[in-house]
Amino acid sequence: MRTIDDFTRPLEYVSPMDGLLGSIFRDWVEREVMPYRRRFDEDYRDHRLIHPPFKKLLGEYGLQRMIFPEDLGGWGMGRSNYMCTAAFRMFEEIARADTGMALAFGALFWPFLFIALEPHENRRLLEEFAPMFCETTEAVFAALCMTEPQGGSDIENIEIVKGSTIRTTAVLDGDEWVINGHKLWPSNTGGLAKLMAVVCTTNPGSDDPRDIAVIYVTSDTPGVTQGPPYEKAGMAADMNSDVWFENVRVPSWYRACGPGDDAKYFGEIMSTGNMGIIAWISGAMMNIYERLTEFVNRKKFRGLPLKENDAVAGVLADFAAHIEAIRIVGYQCARMCDRHDLYGPLWDPGLVAKTRAQRYLAMDRFIEVTGRVMNLMECFGADRDWDVEKHWRDLKILQLVEGSKQLCQIETARWFYECTTL
Amino acid sequence: MNDLELFPYPKNRLQKTDLDLAASLQDLVQKEIVDKRLELKEDYQGLLRPNLDKLLVEVGLQRMFWPEDLGGEEHNGPEAAYTVAAALEQVGRADTGLAYLAAHNLALQAALAMRENLDREACARFAPLFCDGRGPMIVSFILPVFGEDEKAPAWRGKSFQVKARSASGGWVLEGKGIRPTCSGADATLFGAWCAVEGEEAPAFILVPGDAPGLSRGPEFKKTGLAASRNADLDLSGVEVPAENCLFRGDLEYRRLLSWFYLGITATTVGGLLAAYQILKEWGDNRVIKGTGNIFKENPLTGALMGEIAQDISMSRLLAYDLAGMLADPSSFGDAGSDMVYTSALMIVHQVLATAERALHRTMELMASAGYAKEWQLERYWRDLKTVQCYVGSHELAKHDFSRWFYGARTL
Ligand SMILES: Cc1cc2nc3c(=O)[nH]c(=O)nc-3n(C[C@H](O)[C@H](O)[C@H](O)COP(=O)(O)OP(=O)(O)OC[C@H]3O[C@@H](n4cnc5c(N)ncnc54)[C@H](O)[C@@H]3O)c2cc1C
Ligand SMILES: Cc1cc2nc3c(=O)[nH]c(=O)nc-3n(C[C@H](O)[C@H](O)[C@H](O)COP(=O)(O)OP(=O)(O)OC[C@H]3O[C@@H](n4cnc5c(N)ncnc54)[C@H](O)[C@@H]3O)c2cc1C
Repeated sequence: MRTIDDFTRPLEYVSPMDGLLGSIFRDWVEREVMPYRRRFDEDYRDHRLIHPPFKKLLGEYGLQRMIFPEDLGGWGMGRSNYMCTAAFRMFEEIARADTGMALAFGALFWPFLFIALEPHENRRLLEEFAPMFCETTEAVFAALCMTEPQGGSDIENIEIVKGSTIRTTAVLDGDEWVINGHKLWPSNTGGLAKLMAVVCTTNPGSDDPRDIAVIYVTSDTPGVTQGPPYEKAGMAADMNSDVWFENVRVPSWYRACGPGDDAKYFGEIMSTGNMGIIAWISGAMMNIYERLTEFVNRKKFRGLPLKENDAVAGVLADFAAHIEAIRIVGYQCARMCDRHDLYGPLWDPGLVAKTRAQRYLAMDRFIEVTGRVMNLMECFGADRDWDVEKHWRDLKILQLVEGSKQLCQIETARWFYECTTL
Repeated sequence: MNDLELFPYPKNRLQKTDLDLAASLQDLVQKEIVDKRLELKEDYQGLLRPNLDKLLVEVGLQRMFWPEDLGGEEHNGPEAAYTVAAALEQVGRADTGLAYLAAHNLALQAALAMRENLDREACARFAPLFCDGRGPMIVSFILPVFGEDEKAPAWRGKSFQVKARSASGGWVLEGKGIRPTCSGADATLFGAWCAVEGEEAPAFILVPGDAPGLSRGPEFKKTGLAASRNADLDLSGVEVPAENCLFRGDLEYRRLLSWFYLGITATTVGGLLAAYQILKEWGDNRVIKGTGNIFKENPLTGALMGEIAQDISMSRLLAYDLAGMLADPSSFGDAGSDMVYTSALMIVHQVLATAERALHRTMELMASAGYAKEWQLERYWRDLKTVQCYVGSHELAKHDFSRWFYGARTL
């Protein structure tokens, strides 16, 4: 019988740990997530069902330590040139069960990209935060706070808007930053986050990228408030809320990379985020393939399994063809993010633009082809028990977050056609 | 100008009563549903059920077609198609699920009580249920679906979910794990297209929700349509009188479906109009690309908004085109004729596919606000996708189109 493992994985460059990682995650997913995931939607507020598998994965297996250097108790992934390719496999396996979990897992590492990657490792901050994540078997979450009420895309649109719309302010007072502002939507908030990287401006209204500051804040610092989790169309396993910062004081050395570099390395968030999104799409599609296969084998039409109808087979083929193509594009994207010697640095605007293009194409294709699969399954396509609708609901957001669809288009056009005013 | 009037429709062909009904429904649903849902969300008992009662009983949608002497309003000429379109658009704008339920009710009335094919006996038997003011008639259909057993009797390849046999002046019905088109948990009347033991012609049989032998499974979770609390059913030796069989022929069955598809098309247009109103507010106020750039004035997002409006406009015109076909049988033929049925099926699929695209784009334009329940947009996206799934596979519907246009016979 064919399985999801028969879809092509580019064997010539998957990480050496790929097989091992794959089996650890597959096993965890089957035992800890699959049996419960159909009840996750109603668990969005409390994470009673969602938290225990996270505790196992992050705390007990220790995946939350992954990005920290080995001498600080981590696994040194931040220094590996397989970081993204390995992450792709992990993301795929988690997303096969639940994209919300995959997003929450990925977002946990976002804040650390600024300080854990070469050549801009910030040793002092790594030493400061490593114990929080490496010396516990509890799940510990981190969040990257960019989006604000007036808009998320503009903050990510650094090349053109250059941070001029950021309203969260950071003012240096002696050897402390004083932070004030209101963020929306960071993944892993709603009370979960223990550590946040906050995108601030040191000079409101300025379009000088040196005024963009990424500053770390532990959530027990006085003045930090996380609101209750939002209720969303899907993605229950990713908790999001408002976060308020009111005269929050942190040491001055809690700034990630420094003037100019905080803005520059923001690009790393974008390229790895785009890679992650393709991995989540690919993982979800694996599971849809599994469920769809069961459906078309079991359901009969004109006395034969549904899959034996030529018209139905046309839709099935389209779905499989999309998995093949999206997965290969995704692994290629991961490899481009890993091999700086071949493809340039992770923050390079060209790399960001290319990964944006790959990601929005994959996402658009996913939406279209999965919509057709749901329709093919008729009333069962909208049925929670068949899981396809869950992936459809969950994944829609990947078109909207972290550089919405139009920002992806604009950045792609800007780079490939050298537009200057877009 | 009322912003819904921006989208053209053949106003000249609607009667004053249709326009008045639409206007009063627009006010009613605004007050009773739209204004209350921020607080009540999709609460069935608190918001949806009371409004279902209001629409069917107080407004009287469930009395529309029945003869006056049986308590109905006898608005049962083919021109009622315009009334159905105008009314369900308004209901669908407030809640797609409620309109979807009303579409079931109105299609059944049209099948039984249309002036041209009025079945007096059946009307006398069933009209009181709809007209005596006792409560809402929640109508649900049981139609053929993909089966699990290759030998199960089939209709155009799909398996009948109910088997009927005639016995001592009545019918005995059997079926397990039946998936109805809506409201398995609440329906007061099911209309089932059944295979008949030992006979070629299927039968459309009405089964009261409280018939002994009918059992309902637990409500199951689905993508949207909170107003339709669906559950699978078992029918075990359910006996109904002979008169509960409303018809045996494909013509009548297709007639029912053509009216059903009109209702669903109008429901869908309603959802699209709601999405328009939500996006309009967003586009008027959101600023992107730094300060001073109003969303709707950005060339890229402005163009997409334009495209969405185009999709909505075309869908509305198609809905009223379908109403026009049903309203004029002397020009287009019986509602159950191949041509009208095929057109109805094409239009409902076209409009639902267009709605899917338009809702996706509206969600994209509103980004995280589109995804958050608070903005009330995502429910239309979920609801309309659910409706599309329940209407059935587009792939297989296309075979019906080929039967009509190319004379395919074995598809
Ligand atoms: C520019 C050009 C170069 C060519 N070069 C060569 C060459 O070098 N050597 C050579 O031998 N031929 C060549 N061909 C011919 C080409 O390979 C054939 O056109 C092709 O195999 C399709 O065959 P057909 O045109 O006879 O169409 P048919 O095979 O009759 O197909 C007609 C349609 O039926 C559909 N169809 C067929 N089978 C099925 C099925 N099982 N299920 C569902 N749908 C089906 C097809 O998708 C198609 O839409 C060339 C054609 C062109 C236009
Ligand atoms: C599940 C989830 C998880 C999230 N996680 C995080 C997180 O971890 N951290 C965080 O900070 N935020 C997070 N977000 C927020 C997310 O990043 C933002 O939603 C996203 O950046 C879009 O911003 P917005 O919603 O404010 O929409 P806006 O930026 O207001 O965009 C609205 C519309 O305008 C369009 N648009 C924007 N700019 C342009 C332009 N220049 N040209 C043309 N069109 C444009 C967009 O495409 C979109 O269609 C999350 C959101 C969700 C739903």
